[in-house]
Formats: sequence, C-alpha cells, structure tokens
Amino acid sequence: MLTYEPGETVVHDLDPRSKLAVQIGFAATALAHTAPRALLGLSVVTAVVLALARVPVVRTLYAYRFALVILALGPLVAAATLGPPWIDLEAGLATALASYRVLLILLVSAAYVRTTPVRESRAAIQRTVPGKPGQLLGIGVALVFRFLPVVQSDLRTIRDASAARLGTERSARERATTIGLLGLSRTFDRADRLSLALRARCFSWNPTLPALAFARRDAPTLGVAVALLLTAFL
Amino acid sequence: MATEQGDVDLVDGDVVHAFARAALLATLLGAVAPIAIPIPFSPAPITLQVLFVFLAGLLLGPLWGTVSILLYLAAGAIGLPVFAGMAGGLGVLVGDSAGYLWSYPLAAGLIGLLVHRGTDLRDPAEVSTPLVVVALVTATVLIYGMGVGYMAWLLELELWEAITVGALPFIPGEVLKIAAAVAIVESGRIDTV
Repeated sequence: MLTYEPGETVVHDLDPRSKLAVQIGFAATALAHTAPRALLGLSVVTAVVLALARVPVVRTLYAYRFALVILALGPLVAAATLGPPWIDLEAGLATALASYRVLLILLVSAAYVRTTPVRESRAAIQRTVPGKPGQLLGIGVALVFRFLPVVQSDLRTIRDASAARLGTERSARERATTIGLLGLSRTFDRADRLSLALRARCFSWNPTLPALAFARRDAPTLGVAVALLLTAFL
Repeated sequence: MATEQGDVDLVDGDVVHAFARAALLATLLGAVAPIAIPIPFSPAPITLQVLFVFLAGLLLGPLWGTVSILLYLAAGAIGLPVFAGMAGGLGVLVGDSAGYLWSYPLAAGLIGLLVHRGTDLRDPAEVSTPLVVVALVTATVLIYGMGVGYMAWLLELELWEAITVGALPFIPGEVLKIAAAVAIVESGRIDTV
C-alpha cells in the first residue's frame, strides 16, 4: 500500500502547498500533450521527482494496479476493430500514448503521498480554502484519517460474523444489503457519539492551526510548478 | 506560530451532527473500497462504493450528502488509501477513473434533491419507492455518463470502446446496488439527520 513514510529527502522538507502546485502543474501539462516528445520530457520530470522523493517504483505500480489494468486494456481495445484489417495500430498507439501520460501523473502524485503526512496536508487545505468550507474540509479529512482503521475493523467484524453464519452462500443482493445496513448503522452510531464529543470539546470555526511556512527552498519548487502549468498552453 | 486571538466561534449543534455523519460516511465509503462481491455472469465483481454514494444522497440529503463525498475525494487526494485497490493521490482524481469519482458528489446531490425536494430532509422510508428508484437510476446514468465520457476523452478511445471497458461489465452489479439501497432505506432502521 502506498502511504506516507518519514524520511530525510528534499521533498519531505518542502511545504505541502508547493508539492500540490507541482502536481497540478504536471497534471495540467500532461493532460494537454500526448506527442512522444512531450511525453519524453514529462518522463524525465517524473524520474527526477521519483528519485528526489526516493519512491519505490515497483511498490507504487502495484499500489495503482487497478488503474494499470484499464491503462493496459485501453490500447488493446482501441486497436481491435470489427472486420478487416482487425487491428488498427494507429488508434492503439494513440491510446497507448494517452495511457502512458496517466501513468506518469499517478507516479508524480505517489511522490506527494509518500512524503507528506496527513496533518501537513490538512493544514495546507485549511490555509488554502478560505472560511468555513476550508475548516470543515480540513477537519473532515483529519476525521477520515482517524476513523478509517476503526470503520475498516467494523466492516471486518460484520463480514466475519456474516461468513460464520454462511452469509457468503447468500445472494449478492442480500450480502450487499447486509453490509450496507450494518455498516451504516454502526458508522452512524459512531458519528453521533463523535458529534457529542466534538460539542463537549467546544468544536469551533476558528481553532489554532498547525504551523506551516514557505521557506526559501520552496521557491524553485513553485517555479517548477508554474513552468509546468505554462507548458500546458504550448 | 500564530495563535487565534478572537472569540471562540462555536459550530451549531445540528451542523456538528450532520458534519460528523458526513465525515464518517466518507470514511465508510473509503473503507468499503477493498470489498468485492462476485456475481454470476459478469467478469467484474461488485464493489460497494456506489451503494454508499446512493445512501449519502438518500440519508444525508443534497447538501451533506455532497459534502460527504467531497470529503472522501479530498481524503483520497491527499493520499489516504480510499480509492479502488486502496490507492490514493491527486493523480487518481485526473486518472482513468476520475470521471466516475467526480460524478459521485453530483450523483449524491442529485439523489438528495430528487428524494428530499430541498435541503429539509424527509424520511426516505416514506418516499414512494418508484421515486427512489428513478432517482437512483438517474444517478447511475450520470455516474456512467461522466465516467465513460472522461475515459474516452483521456485515453482517446471511441465512445463504444470506452463503454465496453468502463460500463458494460458493471451493469448487473448496478442493478443489485439499486435494489440493495432501496431495501436499506425501506427497512427504516437508519435515521436521517
């Protein structure tokens, strides 16, 4: 699984906002270009980012295996044609190039995931999105992070209990209904207890945020982000 | 570090209640990502995410249902393992399945608007079943329309090719999920906000 890992790399030290900017710039320019030369340039940028962040490439590719299946299937489906000549190489190649840029985008975002702890991302969200929506988004993301293992374990309990009672022999609709109903009622029970706890602790619109500051080392990163964004218009 | 110096501006009780439910439903949406149930006559197992998108609209309404899904997308964007295959990252939100993911908040909002007719919530168990089914089918069409459309554009596929890869294998599963969502709300065992 692809997740944050503490480390000493340059990318770990950067402000999360400049890392987000690079990802947005990279995605914008990758979505705008599929020419082989542009993809070569984007590949170099990706390689540099992965090397700087010390991202394990094989593990990352495994983490994105579901996307990779579609990206691999796309060119095959595009190349297949009904009737002679049965294979349209040109269409297949166009889709292959388009798929490849998606792979590059995924790899660059993996560098962010690996080097940025959730609390920094949360602070970045709350400082970037203004007002109450930003507050709710930041706190909401922190809550999802906190409760994900809890809810996952709830679901495991439900499925184990269901399997012990031969629930796996039931129809798919019944299984989906059982998991949905029990998962939802447990989750909403937790939510109601959480809301009581939040109010007891004076849940407010204006808490003090974790510290976050742009430093001099962020300047080149932001420059790269802007440059990438501009190349989208080339 | 700059400390907040102003008066404490407390969040209203009903907002806290709805927000806590939205945040935990977003968590549930992420937690069911790895669960797949095999179904006969289809190569694709059903995953339960769309079921919880339906339930977000039905039980939280157009406003908080949409907020819930946006929280889910934001959590995935910063790298929590909540997308299919326990992946995360901003790249997924522009990748091949991005059309589906971005359609989720719109679908939840649409279901909420059709079923609740506004932001004041009704008990979905009391709404007529045909209306719920129509809302869920419309939402499914929206999800697949955006998902397939974006995939066709991104991967430079013909529309029917994208439909073959991105919609046809999943249709039997969608019918099951609509049936499951209707059964869940009609059971009356879940309170609305």
